[in-house]
Amino acid sequence: MTDSAPNAESLAELARCRREIERIDNELVELLAKRLALGKRTGELKRLAGLPILDPTREAAVIRRVTEVAREAGLPSEPVREVFWQIVGMSRRAQDGGRE
Amino acid sequence: MIIITRPNVSDAEIDHIRERIESVGMRTHLSRGEHRTIIGCIGDESLLHEVPLRSLPGVESVTPILKPYKLASREFAVDRTVVRVGGRDGFATFGGPTITVIAGPCSVESRGMLIETARAVRSAGATMLRGGAFKPRTSPYAFQGLGAEALRLLADVRTETGLPVVTEVMDTRQVDLVAEHADMLQVGARNMQNFALLAELGHVRRPILLKRGLSATIKELLMAAEYIMANGNHDIVLCERGIRTYETATRNTLDIAAIPVLKRETHLPVIVDPSHAGGDAGLVAPLAFAAIAAGADGLIVEVHPDPENALSDGDQSLAPPAFATMMQQLEAFAAATGRSFGLDTPSAWAVA
Repeated sequence: MTDSAPNAESLAELARCRREIERIDNELVELLAKRLALGKRTGELKRLAGLPILDPTREAAVIRRVTEVAREAGLPSEPVREVFWQIVGMSRRAQDGGRE
Repeated sequence: MIIITRPNVSDAEIDHIRERIESVGMRTHLSRGEHRTIIGCIGDESLLHEVPLRSLPGVESVTPILKPYKLASREFAVDRTVVRVGGRDGFATFGGPTITVIAGPCSVESRGMLIETARAVRSAGATMLRGGAFKPRTSPYAFQGLGAEALRLLADVRTETGLPVVTEVMDTRQVDLVAEHADMLQVGARNMQNFALLAELGHVRRPILLKRGLSATIKELLMAAEYIMANGNHDIVLCERGIRTYETATRNTLDIAAIPVLKRETHLPVIVDPSHAGGDAGLVAPLAFAAIAAGADGLIVEVHPDPENALSDGDQSLAPPAFATMMQQLEAFAAATGRSFGLDTPSAWAVA
């Protein structure tokens, strides 16, 4: 058990951690935007090549790859898979004409 | 369709099996047990015809699930699901080694009555608080609940007593508001087949208490659970609360057989509402005893500090002393089924 009264040092550290989390969140959102932009571009390229937008084989390969990456990083792979299914879904909808 | 893997299956083999299934546009759900792992296939099973599932490395057997519910079916999970509710101020579990009793007023009438009831039921052994904020009354002229104000009172009382809170959500428009205040969201009997609401609750990160409809079959109840699960939320507790029959001596007929049938059909926890089932305070204790004896994982009981003057459902509400007596008598029934009351320890939760 820790002391119930928080000391100033740990409160300052908590604030630092929260600022760092916000910075990482900003980065994550920026990365998502970049990923979506690339997704839209691959959508255009698929259209030019006469390929279908929906490509379950590719989606399954993407999910499998990130599952392995997550496992190697010591992260629980099931929640990471869930997150990436959401991202893959966002990307698919963006390719499909930007409907969200 | 479920795939049972060989005992020594590797992560890479599981990844490969899942990739092959997902390559045809289906999704997978993994259930890991100590001795075996089940990969459940979700989606249009006709797509699987082109996948040579039985010859994939790591696959021991492939079994079709012939029932219309898949995610909710007993076959889909290696172990029974344990649903954990609450966290910040206290928590309760359903489906683990202990029996959880939810108690509280039919509807939240005031702060004073809510805190008084919460303290009384907690000291009697209840580990969760119920209280209606939005009340689906049969008559439009009856008391409809305090709404958002009641949600705030419930959250306050949770902080004061440590009892996680369950309350009903009636409409898709209320889901965010209720999820913000309550630890568990209840779907009432009249909304069991409100598929828009069920789908919305699939996206919520809160456990759901799903009550059986007045005229719903067990299959329909499980299909309603499947609806929530298919949309992403797997934390569901089912509740038998009596069904409509030709009998008029009781408000509803408690379907005791539904408990063992559900236990056979699904991995989800099952609790019983003896208050609505009988509609009579005098029937609550005997129906509760029967429910626990039949293997229910918990109870949800209406308790009011002054049932005579309750704004709703006074006839079926227990006063706190009667509730405390019932809780004492229940211990013998719980012990007879190898269960006990109270909070699961964190370690019990981890292995359950």
